Amino acid sequence: MLHALLSLADGEKHGYAIIKEIARRTNDEVRLGAGTLYALVKRALGDGLIVESDDRPDPSLDDERRRYYRLTALGRTVAEAEIARLEAIVGMARAKNLRTRRA
Amino acid sequence: MATPPRPPIATRIFRALLRLLPVDFRIEHGREMEQVFRSQRRDAGNEGTIRAVAGLWLETVRDLLTTAPLQHAAMLRQDAGYALRSLRRTPVFTTAALLTLAIGISASAGIFTIINAFLFRPLPVDRPDELVSIATLDDHIELPHGLSLPDLKDYAELTDVFAGMLGYTQRGAWMNAGGSPERIVIEAVTENTFLLLGARPLIGRVLAPADLRTPVAVLAHDYWQARFAGDSTIVGRTIRLNEETFTIVGVVEPRFKGLDSLIRISAFVPLSMLDRLNAMPAGETIIEARDRHALNVVGRLRPGVTIESARSALRVKSQILASLYPATNRNVSLLVVPETHARPVPQNGPMFHVGAAALAMLAGLLLLITSANVANMLLARAASRGREMALRAALGARRGRVVRQLVTESLVLSIIGGVTAALLSMFLAAAMERGIAALSFEVPLQVNFAIDWRVLAAIFAVAAAAGVVSSLAPALYARRADVNAVLKAAGRTSSGTGPGRLRGMLVVAQVAVSLVLLIVGGLFVKTLDRARTVDLGFRSAGVLLASVDLSRSTYSTATRADYYRAARDRAAALPGVRTAAWISALSFGSSLDSVELRPAGTSADEAGRQSFSVSVSPEYFAAAAVPLVSGRMFDERDAADSPSVIVVNQTLAELLWPGKNPLGRRLLLGAPGTPAEVVGVVRNGKYVFLWEAPRAMLFRPLTQDTPRSASLEIVTAGDPTAMAGTLRMALGAIDPGVPVYGIQSMDQYLENGSALLLFRIGALFTGVFGALGLIMASIGLYGVVAYDTTRRTHEIGVRMALGALRATIIRDVLIRGGRLAASGAMLGMMLAAGLTWLLRAMFLGVSPFDGSIYLGTAVLLIGVCLLASFVPARKAATSDPVTALRAD
Repeated sequence: MLHALLSLADGEKHGYAIIKEIARRTNDEVRLGAGTLYALVKRALGDGLIVESDDRPDPSLDDERRRYYRLTALGRTVAEAEIARLEAIVGMARAKNLRTRRA
Repeated sequence: MATPPRPPIATRIFRALLRLLPVDFRIEHGREMEQVFRSQRRDAGNEGTIRAVAGLWLETVRDLLTTAPLQHAAMLRQDAGYALRSLRRTPVFTTAALLTLAIGISASAGIFTIINAFLFRPLPVDRPDELVSIATLDDHIELPHGLSLPDLKDYAELTDVFAGMLGYTQRGAWMNAGGSPERIVIEAVTENTFLLLGARPLIGRVLAPADLRTPVAVLAHDYWQARFAGDSTIVGRTIRLNEETFTIVGVVEPRFKGLDSLIRISAFVPLSMLDRLNAMPAGETIIEARDRHALNVVGRLRPGVTIESARSALRVKSQILASLYPATNRNVSLLVVPETHARPVPQNGPMFHVGAAALAMLAGLLLLITSANVANMLLARAASRGREMALRAALGARRGRVVRQLVTESLVLSIIGGVTAALLSMFLAAAMERGIAALSFEVPLQVNFAIDWRVLAAIFAVAAAAGVVSSLAPALYARRADVNAVLKAAGRTSSGTGPGRLRGMLVVAQVAVSLVLLIVGGLFVKTLDRARTVDLGFRSAGVLLASVDLSRSTYSTATRADYYRAARDRAAALPGVRTAAWISALSFGSSLDSVELRPAGTSADEAGRQSFSVSVSPEYFAAAAVPLVSGRMFDERDAADSPSVIVVNQTLAELLWPGKNPLGRRLLLGAPGTPAEVVGVVRNGKYVFLWEAPRAMLFRPLTQDTPRSASLEIVTAGDPTAMAGTLRMALGAIDPGVPVYGIQSMDQYLENGSALLLFRIGALFTGVFGALGLIMASIGLYGVVAYDTTRRTHEIGVRMALGALRATIIRDVLIRGGRLAASGAMLGMMLAAGLTWLLRAMFLGVSPFDGSIYLGTAVLLIGVCLLASFVPARKAATSDPVTALRAD
């Protein structure tokens, strides 16, 4: 869910763009299927974290009248809160000298 | 870009996969998901490897397969949550609907519990599906009956068909473990029984083939608990059964309660000990005799052997036996059925199945009424929520979604109803077990009515069916409902269209079905009534019974006869006693015996005729008011050492010597052939069933055929049961060591015994169903009329403002209710006629089209329905027209 919210942080996107953005940013580690994505979208829409956008950013590219989604203020707050929570955990881990190992 | 007329195959497959998702999800996001998939495929195609394309497909299928169930569950949760909230908002409706459902479902569950206990629940032994019951069919007794031990041994030789064959029989016995003797029922089983079934010991061991003619006993678990407080040192102790010493070798595991599904068994002994238990003189045998068809037989089929091939193997064998032993085995065929079909006893014949089917049908009908009732309530709710539904539809909720919501609501209702019913059923089952145990039947009864998975599955299947059926009507209504019409009418529509007509139809159906239940119940009650007034051929009023058991080694034939004479004389001398007499076996009892007859002068090899036979003391015919047709009764002349004499009934006389005088003729009784002379003919009576065709019976003097146990009938001037204590004391004074049991009036014996018990149970069940049906139908009708009237408050107000009389208003409302009830009653009578004709075999002595029952129940039903509509009618008529006009 956080991934999906993050991918919308820098602007509204349609479904496939969200999938690609997430895949790109996680080096293909997280690859959402269409079903999983829209299950997330449905929940986020229901919770008011995202809304369908009315604007078409680039009508010339928009061949199939795709729906675009954008983060709401609430969605942004939730994403920020979640990141703050994760940061706190990472901070605690650092304080205990736990290190992340990178391959 | 123009859309191609037919999308590529990949897209079509993806669309097909999308159908896994809930329809709402599909409509909301399906198009986009398709776009995403097309993009993904384009990208994968660009990569150019088969692997990329295959990976995408795999990933997509996995993705949809994991998403779909979650989405369905979420949708269901949402619907169910909404349903629960909306049900909570209308507590009266919800409670009424739940109660209705719970009653309807538990009635069905109760019936199924009974059917399950007898017909479905397998014996708690290894591989119960391999077990078959084998019974004898011959021309002597109408119903299937047992086999003899020699026959059993011969049939058991068919070892390529049967892995083994066992025989068992029950017998009352006096158990003495120190203290006073106690009457219990034991099961005498062939020694291989436990091994063949796979019934294991809890402590000690069970019977084994090596126990042939060994006085050992295995206790049933419940009896061990109740009588010996679960004492684990019991193994090795001795008890006395009928004065014979037996060593307890073990207690059988709790789940195995014996082979009989109806009788409470306390202990198991080797069948080879039965002659000793019966105190047979040395050299005499009952169990080894080929003409004693006393054993219930169960065979275990070899794996892979069908019941059909077992039947043909047994048929061939029985023909061989018939040629070897014509005297006993001629005209004998075998009835081979799965063990579960031979319950409660192998002798039950098809009657039990017909009865079970009939009860199941009644339960199904009651369930239909229940569903109709709930449907009616839901419809009323749907109608009053018409605005809400229409609004939701106008706001974009699709019609399918609204229907789904309604169906979910009634499913939620029926699931809660099902849970309630499951709880109710457990109480019901416990109550039925207690009720059966409390019956003062000849032997202690025990039926395992435990609620097992079959019953629970049935309850929830029934609940789900009720849910679906009851949601059909509202769903149909919601589908048809026109948004505009409903919104415009704003709840002021009167009957005639939409839910009104649908509900009217439901009520008609309900009244019809409940009339069917009432008629069936009425016919059963009338059957019971007729059964009670059947001419038994002997006196039943003012008779007290007491049975004694002299099968102790201390009594010889001569001293038994002395005891009977002394006991009779003492009983007859008691104040308030008019006369007293002995009979060796009561009619409708299990100890009725039969004897083989041959005319004097024929050889023993020739097959004779079987007749029931009882021994009576000289006073019997007078005491029991059995009229003498010709000849004489028994008297003092007929002593033990005088020539053997018999009295026959009219049927036997007519069978043996049609049209001739039977007096003075001679017969040979039994296998060696005791010659006996006919001295009298008496009128026919009923001996085995109340509705039997005239049956042959032969009476012998107690002095010449002295039984080990007998029943004393005393004819009293007043209430016979008041004499019970006096009689027990009088008999105890003669020999305190003789066990006396079954002290009850003849009427009690008939009511609780096999004579009337089944009729009573039938009348009870169908009566309860009829009453429940009546209540449900009147609730349904009340609901419809009350709702209807409320909706017409406005119209009624206008009419009253215009000067209509209260009586007219009431009459109008009553006419609407009455019309529904009358149409239902007409339909119900037609349905009932069809159903009762199918069940006609069960209404003994009553026509399935009995006019008084049909009319009586119809009048009752219409009366109750009118009463149900009178309440809302009065309310409407007494309402203030001004308030009524202001309504809405």
